[in-house]
Amino acid sequence: MTMETSQNDDMVKMIDIHKWFGRVYAVRGVDFNLKRGETLGLLGDNGAGKSTLIKILSGYHVADKGEIFFDGKKVTIRSPRDARKLGIETVYQEQALAPNLSISRNIFMGREPVKGLGLLDKKLMDEESMQALRDMGLRLRSPDLPVVTLSGGERQGVAIARAIHFKAKCVILDEPTVALSVKEVNEVLEFIRQIKREGISSIFISHNLYHVYEIAERFVVMARGRKMTDVKKEDVTLDDLSELVIKSALVE
Amino acid sequence: MANKENYLKKLFVSRSFSILVVLIALIIIFTVFSPEGRFLDPDNLKVLLAYGSEFSIIALGVGILMVSGEFDMSVGSILVFCSYLFLVFYQLHFNFFLVLILTIIGGIALGYLNGIITVKGQIPSFVTTLGTMMLWRGLTLWFSGGEQQACDVSSSPAFLSFLNGNIGGFFPIQAMWFIVIGILLGIILQKYRFGNWIYATGDNADAARAMGIRTDIVKTICFMIVGALCAFVAGMQISRVSCFTARTGEGWELKAVAACVVGGTSLRGGIGDMAGIFLGAFAISVIENGLVVLRIPYFWTYTVFGLVIVFSVLSSMYIEKQKWTQK
Repeated sequence: MTMETSQNDDMVKMIDIHKWFGRVYAVRGVDFNLKRGETLGLLGDNGAGKSTLIKILSGYHVADKGEIFFDGKKVTIRSPRDARKLGIETVYQEQALAPNLSISRNIFMGREPVKGLGLLDKKLMDEESMQALRDMGLRLRSPDLPVVTLSGGERQGVAIARAIHFKAKCVILDEPTVALSVKEVNEVLEFIRQIKREGISSIFISHNLYHVYEIAERFVVMARGRKMTDVKKEDVTLDDLSELVIKSALVE
Repeated sequence: MANKENYLKKLFVSRSFSILVVLIALIIIFTVFSPEGRFLDPDNLKVLLAYGSEFSIIALGVGILMVSGEFDMSVGSILVFCSYLFLVFYQLHFNFFLVLILTIIGGIALGYLNGIITVKGQIPSFVTTLGTMMLWRGLTLWFSGGEQQACDVSSSPAFLSFLNGNIGGFFPIQAMWFIVIGILLGIILQKYRFGNWIYATGDNADAARAMGIRTDIVKTICFMIVGALCAFVAGMQISRVSCFTARTGEGWELKAVAACVVGGTSLRGGIGDMAGIFLGAFAISVIENGLVVLRIPYFWTYTVFGLVIVFSVLSSMYIEKQKWTQK
């Protein structure tokens, strides 16, 4: 059996992706790629299709048509479980953490280490959680604190620490800076730089151009289910980018 | 030293501590006010532990299910349907242990049905189980004609002592089952992977799914645990009363939810622990028994349930608040 492969420097390559929700044609033949170690900004207005596209990659939706290559191999992603097995981690606003569970139980959620008799290895979970957080410069008092007691920035930190700890190959950050204070936003942007330093590819989805511009190396702008622009950071200024997003939304 | 203080502090602000206070207060009140100290009379304690444990065991299962974010309004009906199953297998002259095993398999199947309808149909479990509550009760009444029927298991002393015996001539075996099942479920919930999946599922099902946890399966298994416990209790109850009654388990569904809420379990899922659920379940049995011993008319029971529920929820919310503001 021959394995179909795509270009080697792409971590993710999505070809001609289509998605309908009933009568709504949400994604209309999009080609998308993410290079190894790259931080990509995915922009667009509400209903532009960016969330749908990304949820196809993370296994929440299944595309009606199209192909996905991951790490050079053609893959079929039918569930978040499939995506996670490949090394695709999602850091969603409200979907990443269980608020009443402790930090360590959140970090190891679904991948809990066990010792004899199938018991949870809580000591290992606690130690590794604290280490993973320290590696990101995040010092929290105890691994037993419920996530709900943390600040918004710290929560994103926990979710990102989890992705790094489990050696994700591609991290999807869906609006990680929404509803955060300026100080917390800076913290989160620092965490995202940490992802980059680890050599992990990431997709940063946001409405806030300033946050994305600061950190991404390339930008993809979507509107009404289509990819409108694909541009490197060195080729655009923040103003250009802002204009591109607005124009894309207006073009019929 | 500092550690010890921390530990004490942790104990005092834990949810199960507040319910322990409620429980001790209830026991003191019933002891003081029951005529001639009848509440602490060994005969009464035997009744409390034997009869009360039947309900309490089911409440343990309901607690675990509530942590996973679902309800089961059909526990009383699963109980009565399983009692009928027990009767049917009994009348076929099977070995009593086989009868019990078949009944438990039946209970698991009913739990599975609740689970699968809820997760596949994406129907709130409150509605699903409200439906099955009426369905199983109705079918049982239909099949049995609503009449009591003899079902005496005393011909097998081994079986009788397994479900309706005592330890050391006093301690009812039902209470031992309550404790053993409580510890087992507690270990599963707090010390096992599956327990973490239950918490994650109840707390934030989207996050749990994103982390690869199969929340549908987790929930369905919790429903099946409840079904198994209902069936087990059906066998236990029949062993005690030696007959099948079509009215058994009526009103238990809300009492079980009350027990779990008193024990600090959240109605929204994700919060609760086995110690609290255990104490909550026991507290409800104590109230029921205590009011009988006090010779207070039965309809007062619900008034007291109401007061205890409201009080314990308020106090646990207050404790919760203290806990996070202190830090």
